[in-house]
Amino acid sequence: MVTGIASRPGDTQVLPPAAGPPRAGRADAWSRRGPRRKARREFRPRRTIPGVLVAAVLAAAGILGAIQAVSAAFDRPLWKLQHRDFAGPLQDTHWDSTATLAVAAAVAFIGLVLVLTGLIPGRPRAIPLASGDESVVTGAPRRSLRRSLARLAKDVDGIDRARAKARMRSVTVRATTRLRDTGGLRENVHSAVQDRLTALDPLWPPRVKVRLRRKAGG
Amino acid sequence: MTRHTARISRTGLILIGLILLAGGGAALARSLNAFPDVLGRSTAPLLSHAQTRYPAGHAWVWPVTAAAAAIIALLALWWLAAQTRTQTVRRLSLEPDRTSGVTVLPADAAIGAITDELESYPGIQRASAALHGSPAAPRLQLSVTADDHADPAIVRTRIETEALAHLRTALELDTIPTVLRIRFSSAPDRHLT
Repeated sequence: MVTGIASRPGDTQVLPPAAGPPRAGRADAWSRRGPRRKARREFRPRRTIPGVLVAAVLAAAGILGAIQAVSAAFDRPLWKLQHRDFAGPLQDTHWDSTATLAVAAAVAFIGLVLVLTGLIPGRPRAIPLASGDESVVTGAPRRSLRRSLARLAKDVDGIDRARAKARMRSVTVRATTRLRDTGGLRENVHSAVQDRLTALDPLWPPRVKVRLRRKAGG
Repeated sequence: MTRHTARISRTGLILIGLILLAGGGAALARSLNAFPDVLGRSTAPLLSHAQTRYPAGHAWVWPVTAAAAAIIALLALWWLAAQTRTQTVRRLSLEPDRTSGVTVLPADAAIGAITDELESYPGIQRASAALHGSPAAPRLQLSVTADDHADPAIVRTRIETEALAHLRTALELDTIPTVLRIRFSSAPDRHLT
């Protein structure tokens, strides 16, 4: 029955006029904090990769430790690792030795990194865009946006190469030209990028910066 | 799904990080002879002779150690599973009123319908979708690759007012929380070729 979704009787596909309505969503979302916060939370990095790594290491350590402890309980070590082998060095090493200091510092540092990884929100994976529907959180993934804006800048007459950086608050385009007369070039790149961003309608409109570099020769 | 997984990952990382930070910090403090009254002298060995002999004289030490290690391993495995679980919905229940029977729809059918519809729109090259959450209240993850020259406002409005509306009607839901990702492709739009 669902195959009929797109071709339900009486369901004409009417395009709304392009000029008017999309603005309304933005003004609406802008006035309330909810949608912006929701969008920002949605596209925050999830920290699943460090989480999975730490969990795997912990699980492996727990399993190995349990096996070792069980074999020690039966007084039949699985590996050649004798109790004496690690008890000896631990007896011979003192708290104020360099090795102890280094290991303790390393453990504390790893702990600090993990705490910060959990606490720091991280740069969002996508730039949140306005949406006309409250149940829809829309975003433009940053990598794709970066490439798209760079292509757009490159398509401007006189630009040879262009790279773009997309952040929540600012979009930076670095463009290279071989033209001797660069008058108006920066403005052209700026307006091309700005037009695309305006059409995308980000919840936080970023500032567009253009850095133009002239390459000699060619 | 994503927010929930993020919270599980972040909470676990903070917890493990705090334990390591506290342990490492205490060891560091003792190593530097910071609080000799509390932590002990820094000139002492890591394990005293009496401490190394302790497990041999007390039968409970190794079994308790083994149990503790096993509990840590189980908790870590549970954490691992909780982070990697996708909570994908395979079947959708269309009839919330169970007295009149249950209508079940494979989620793939709904996903196929909405991606087909999206890919038929001019300006959209590819679309992919996934449903997460519970069969009665699913959440939609939608990813759309639009042509570089397509007007994003039109694409977005059409997705919101048509494709999502059709899906809501088909699933008999008032609202489907949706996350929509719009990407742009340099490849020419196949609708125009």
